[in-house]
Amino acid sequence: MKHPAEAQIALFAGGDLGRWERWRVARHIGRCSECRHEAQALRDAGAQLRELAAEMPELPNGLSWNRLAQEITGNIRVGFAAGEAISLFDKPAPLKHRLGWNATLVVLGATAVFAIAFWTSLPSQQAEHLLASLKRIRAERIGTVIRSSAATPEEAVVEASSAGIQVKENGRTLSLMQPRSDGATVSVSMQGSAGVRFVDADTGQVTTNKVYYAEQ
Amino acid sequence: MRSSSLLLGSVLALVPLNGVLSAAALPKIDFPADSPVALLSADYGESNEAARGGALLLDFHAALSLRNSSQRKIRGITLLVSAQDVTPGGKGSVTITSLDVGPQESFPVRIDLRLLRPLQASSNVPVQIGLDGVLFDDLSFYGPDKLSSRRNMRLSEWEARRDRRYFKSVLAAGGPERLRQEMLESLTHEADRPSLDVQVVRGGRATNFEPEKQVQFAFLRLPDSPVDPVDGMARIAGNEARAPRLEVKNRSDRAIRYLEVGWILHDQTGREFLAGSVPAELNLAPGQQSRIFENATLKFPQLGAQPLAIESMTGFVSSVEFADGTLWIPTRGDLGSPQLQRVMAPSDEEQRLAQIYRKKGLSALIAELNKF
Repeated sequence: MKHPAEAQIALFAGGDLGRWERWRVARHIGRCSECRHEAQALRDAGAQLRELAAEMPELPNGLSWNRLAQEITGNIRVGFAAGEAISLFDKPAPLKHRLGWNATLVVLGATAVFAIAFWTSLPSQQAEHLLASLKRIRAERIGTVIRSSAATPEEAVVEASSAGIQVKENGRTLSLMQPRSDGATVSVSMQGSAGVRFVDADTGQVTTNKVYYAEQ
Repeated sequence: MRSSSLLLGSVLALVPLNGVLSAAALPKIDFPADSPVALLSADYGESNEAARGGALLLDFHAALSLRNSSQRKIRGITLLVSAQDVTPGGKGSVTITSLDVGPQESFPVRIDLRLLRPLQASSNVPVQIGLDGVLFDDLSFYGPDKLSSRRNMRLSEWEARRDRRYFKSVLAAGGPERLRQEMLESLTHEADRPSLDVQVVRGGRATNFEPEKQVQFAFLRLPDSPVDPVDGMARIAGNEARAPRLEVKNRSDRAIRYLEVGWILHDQTGREFLAGSVPAELNLAPGQQSRIFENATLKFPQLGAQPLAIESMTGFVSSVEFADGTLWIPTRGDLGSPQLQRVMAPSDEEQRLAQIYRKKGLSALIAELNKF
């Protein structure tokens, strides 16, 4: 069994404990004869002291022993309260950590809001230029990034050269080749077609081969 | 795992990996029942297939013989070539213009098609050859016109008539010798004209790390053009030109439904070449202004060891179709301007006439001009 501290029992005996502590110590004293005897002894000592004080002559300047005892008791309470408050300061404060994380989150949030606001307020051309510059810087730092056809499988390319024209899609190719001919004129249209025109050397016919790409 | 390997093995065993195409792999030619042309014969003599690593390369060489089964002369024909299994979004076409095929006469069409597809794809290659359109000498048209063949062949015929008229006038004014000079100049021009390989990527993103810049179009204004280019710009990054935006104004008294703007690029070393065209289907009333925008990227491979760096660009209106179906093309005078002369190719018809002169001589050329 854990006994209350002597000071606790003394305060209990003098009726100076708070409600909760008083109930706790009284519960212990009800089961512990040792502490009960100590508390009773302190009560008896207190009663004797008060009787002695009553028999003592009056103090100067209107002071009384009772009043002095009350002041001493008050000072003791203040001391206990101060001790408890100081003990809280001595413990590691979890609040401090929480504040640190909050500060980090606030800074990150503010940065994100600023970045989004900056990006959305940029004219699209400047935004693309900035993106291109960042890519260039990245390429200079970590080397050239090569975009393989496998990386963009959805991209269809229409191509024209004097050898022929072709449309490439997902690694597959459809080409129209030109036979032996006299001069070839290559042309492309921004709507996604490429053509080559030539005069067939065998037939003398003007032939135009074209390939087109149209999204399905 | 084992069963899938067996399955793949048996599928591959069905495909002759190197050699002549099986009958199932030959193109399917399908013309409408009321087509003004009929298929007389199809020869795939040199067609073959060969494995290239993990891919199968199919070479089709089709020599078709078609007959004009209509009562009118045929001036042009466009055949549509598609291979849905290979390139679902891609199509090809073979167009022959400057024809002069009378009723019941036959004429040849050659198609040289190459397909590259993965080995494990379906063993049959359903290449389909169909008819997209036929243009007659009265400029009437037959066909589904999925590839705007009507407009393209009419533009070509328009140019052919303009050039035949011009060479006939040269012959009438200066005699055979003057015509000879014209033909020699045409052949020289054709040989000297700069040519460049080019790629088009629809909705393409910039793939190089050159800083991108906005470049304003300079415009070459042709005096008789019904459309005035007002403003325009494109984004240039190294050897790529992207997203051209143009503003055009209809200065004619007729509504316009289609126009095409030619695009000349100049590089840092002063070279210039015709990069491509920016076509636009629109509805442009007289006096009205409209914007044209194409979200595509032109990419130019390196010219030898020297990378191409685009510096500036020039636009000019190269053809217009009015709402009533009539066409406008630049005159011979317009095409004589030094800048266009440097980059523009001779028309289909001028190229054909020059080859007749080169192979058969002046008298054959004069006889050909007199046929029309």
